[in-house]
Amino acid sequence: MSSTTWSFGGHRTGVFQGWDRFDYVLTFAALALVAFGLVLIYSGASSTYTGPIASLANPAARQAVFAAIGVCLMLAVSKFDYHFLTHYAWVLYIIGILSLVFILGVGHTAFGSTRWFDLGPIQVQPSEFAKLATILALAKYFGDHGGDARDLRTLITSFLIAAVPAGLVFIEPDLGTSVVFMAIWLGVVIVAGARRTHLLVFAGLFIAILPFAWTFLISDYQVERISVLIDPYNDQNGRGAGYNNIQSEIAVGSGEWFGKGLMNGDQTKFGYLPVATKDFIFSVLGEETGFVGAMVLFALFILLLMRGIRTAKIAGDTSGQLVASGIVMLILFQAFINIAVNLSLFPVTGIPLPFVSAGGSSLLTLFIALGILQSVAMRHRAYRQY
Amino acid sequence: MNNLRGLAGRTRNRPRGNLNVLSIAVVGLFAILTARLAYMQLVKGPSYAERSRDNHLVRSELIPQRGLIYDRNGVQLVENVPSYSAQVVPDLLPPESTTPGSDDPRYAIFQKLEQITGTPALAIQQQVKQQEDANKGGEAITVAKHLSQDQAQMLDEAAINMPGVSLVVTPARKYIGGDDFSNVLGYIGAQSAETAPTYAKLGYSLFEPVGVAGLESVYQQELRGQPGYTLDEQDAYGTLIQQVANVAPTPGDNLKLAIDKGLQDYVAQVLQDYMSYGSDNAFSSETARTAAAVVMNPNDGEIYSIVSIPGYDDNIFNDPVKNSAQITAMLNDRVHAPLTDHAIAAAAPGSTFKMITAAAGLQNGTVTPQTSRYIPSTRLDIKGDDGKTYTLIDWEVHGTIDLYQAIAQSSDIYFYGVACGLPATDGIAGMKGLATDSDKAALILGQYARAFGLGSPTGIDLDNEASGNVPSPAQKLKTHDGEPWVYFDTCFMGIGQGDVAATPLQMARVTAAVANGGKLVTPHIVNQVIAPGGKVVRTVTGDTTQVPVSAANLQVVKEGMHLCVNGGACESAAAPGVDMSGKTGTAEFNDELQGGALVQHAWFTGFAPFENPQVVITVYFDLGWGGARAAPAASKIAEYFFQHVKVNQ
Repeated sequence: MSSTTWSFGGHRTGVFQGWDRFDYVLTFAALALVAFGLVLIYSGASSTYTGPIASLANPAARQAVFAAIGVCLMLAVSKFDYHFLTHYAWVLYIIGILSLVFILGVGHTAFGSTRWFDLGPIQVQPSEFAKLATILALAKYFGDHGGDARDLRTLITSFLIAAVPAGLVFIEPDLGTSVVFMAIWLGVVIVAGARRTHLLVFAGLFIAILPFAWTFLISDYQVERISVLIDPYNDQNGRGAGYNNIQSEIAVGSGEWFGKGLMNGDQTKFGYLPVATKDFIFSVLGEETGFVGAMVLFALFILLLMRGIRTAKIAGDTSGQLVASGIVMLILFQAFINIAVNLSLFPVTGIPLPFVSAGGSSLLTLFIALGILQSVAMRHRAYRQY
Repeated sequence: MNNLRGLAGRTRNRPRGNLNVLSIAVVGLFAILTARLAYMQLVKGPSYAERSRDNHLVRSELIPQRGLIYDRNGVQLVENVPSYSAQVVPDLLPPESTTPGSDDPRYAIFQKLEQITGTPALAIQQQVKQQEDANKGGEAITVAKHLSQDQAQMLDEAAINMPGVSLVVTPARKYIGGDDFSNVLGYIGAQSAETAPTYAKLGYSLFEPVGVAGLESVYQQELRGQPGYTLDEQDAYGTLIQQVANVAPTPGDNLKLAIDKGLQDYVAQVLQDYMSYGSDNAFSSETARTAAAVVMNPNDGEIYSIVSIPGYDDNIFNDPVKNSAQITAMLNDRVHAPLTDHAIAAAAPGSTFKMITAAAGLQNGTVTPQTSRYIPSTRLDIKGDDGKTYTLIDWEVHGTIDLYQAIAQSSDIYFYGVACGLPATDGIAGMKGLATDSDKAALILGQYARAFGLGSPTGIDLDNEASGNVPSPAQKLKTHDGEPWVYFDTCFMGIGQGDVAATPLQMARVTAAVANGGKLVTPHIVNQVIAPGGKVVRTVTGDTTQVPVSAANLQVVKEGMHLCVNGGACESAAAPGVDMSGKTGTAEFNDELQGGALVQHAWFTGFAPFENPQVVITVYFDLGWGGARAAPAASKIAEYFFQHVKVNQ
């Protein structure tokens, strides 16, 4: 992919080093998603926000500002050698775990779940940070152990590394994010060469404890969200969880082939869609741009994720490869679960659609993750040279 | 930085896993999402699109002003009035107080409602709770209906401080024509289980009141008008965004009747007055329980008056719950059956049927106007064609009479002869029946009866019209446990007895056909359907058919009827200044209500004037003698008609 004819110069040193290996396609895909998101946020906020466009109170404008900061962060992080991050992976991981524990005590509760700190004007969601820390910790762990998940003891230890934060977010409760944690682990250990038989045993155990989890571990609010998914009309609390499912289904379904046009979704503009700029932004997209718009979005995600997988393939070493794999799984599963919720395939859970949903914490984390991916991509050749 | 690179050096080994698994995961998961999306948007899309519209578009029906009803002179018979009721929407009420003993704002509202409407607060509380338990807190409950004007005003003012309570105004009817119009106009009410599907197809909402009886029911579609609606766009919080559509309702069409209200009231009064008329007369001692009269234009079937006694107050159906005891009593009153229109209910027509027998005999060629018979006694023993001996009774010794006299004197024996034939006895000449075989004679008479419109509804614009009955040998086998038709049955049929049954309206129609020279008209109460602006939408005219009897033969019957009033058995029908013709009937029947006692229906049916008849009058009392009760009543009606009713509009 690198081209020496126009690059800043593969052999330069300092600030300009490695830009010829910077993944512009990946960056384009991410920025296209953000742009798509800005339009949808503007439309989704139309039922609640009526102020001027250029105001920080405008959710779309805020998102644009966060995106700009995010791009700067991505560029900065990409200049860092990712080994610097994996070197301190355990420190970051411990901080992540502590912040998850801490939030259960003092965090801000919204929609029946405790997920973020209020730091003045910004809300910080420690689970976002913990996801990246866990990816780095897994990469570090396998890097230190020969990059091999074939050994059962190594596999179980790596499972525990992911299970601790997964369990903590599960208690918040945030079912979706804990699924993302486990997906990251699964992706990393598959790339790290876990044995199929071991994974099958894990899968069997998981299925075996599922009924107990349903009874003892999952809170009522989650049970309700899951059961209304199965029968959204049996919603005892009126405009509760089932209402969200029904309204998002109607929004997406009524979009048909080409949608009702941007700013023209009845479900969106009349406020029937819950959290239309965040968790249910895909429903806005479905309603206003239809099947065709959704296919464009899917294409952008697939492009972005394939570039991530390419980064994993060309990574110079185990930890780079696993970091890239983990980030691919992170973005893939967040996107999948979010869209699945919008399509009533997964219980309602507060997972934003990566790069698209409004939310600074999520967007900045994702751009940092892209920065790490870039860092891996920009350094693959450097390692072959040494 | 060197330090970090050194670290990396230790991990330069490559993992063994397969990165293609990630690619498969990406493609696979997005394929799942695409499939689901395609199903929702492309397969189910249209239905979701409809639900999306339903979601935010709130449609409210606007009920049109129902058409009004006027008599032939423009006298209004019904008004539209508002009906007030109190509604409560549980979801909009203030929340129930959780601490007992404290002032519960919700219960305070119920108490205030009790003060205004009289519905107990506890009952309201219970209804609200039931609705909430059924998860229908958003649906309105009607806690009190048919509030007075004062109550409505009080509620309207108080409702401002009572969230969840509202005054609802629905259209209702006030019938101002009087009890004698009740069976004609009918009333409006809720749709029944039987009618609801039909109305649903016509676009009615289940809760829209419809005509249940009378003209209100028959002309429901015209009277209804075209409902309008508003279509409001609402957001998820119930706030009105904008009105998308506002289609004003079109008021219903008005009806202009052929009925003259003055005549109708007068006829009702006469019938009431004559219920026990002539009971000092040995012939007619029983007081009538029901009565009916039809006054009709013999040439086009316009109904000037159609009265059924007793009437009722159709306004009670505006509040069927409050008046349920009264309504139940009326439904259970088998003696007076006030909800039955006796003008279109069937009874044995007795001698009035002789008009048909005479016409049949003449047209059949078995009788001529000059055919005469000596009737020396009121008893005649006859050996029938089945070999049995039958005793035939007449009401009077008539002597030698021809057909004119037979009609005028209403001789039974003469008409037995016309129908079933009489053999020659003791030197008295015999008579030819309609056929030598009495079964066949009955069928011929039946054909004529049907040709005159008996046995089927006349087609008047009223519901629940009886067909009456024209008997036949085959029918008797079925309805009388296999008993065969005998000679005597044909004879009896000839004088309108046995199983013959006809409605006063049918007999009026027969009389009209005789009077007008053979035209069988279709009676109609409504003359015109008129749009609110005054434009005539539709003029009601009935079809006419021709009776298969020549005008000359009908002229014979007419003349017999003319003689009847002028020196015959119907002299009591004579009216000053009116050249009346007619036929009485006194039909014997076994009254179930009196334990099977043998009593009589009183009939008179006639027309006037003799030349160029303008009106047919048929009067019926369920008990009494024709000449003693029905004919004098008809005479009063005829007198009034020619003095007061404006025929040409």
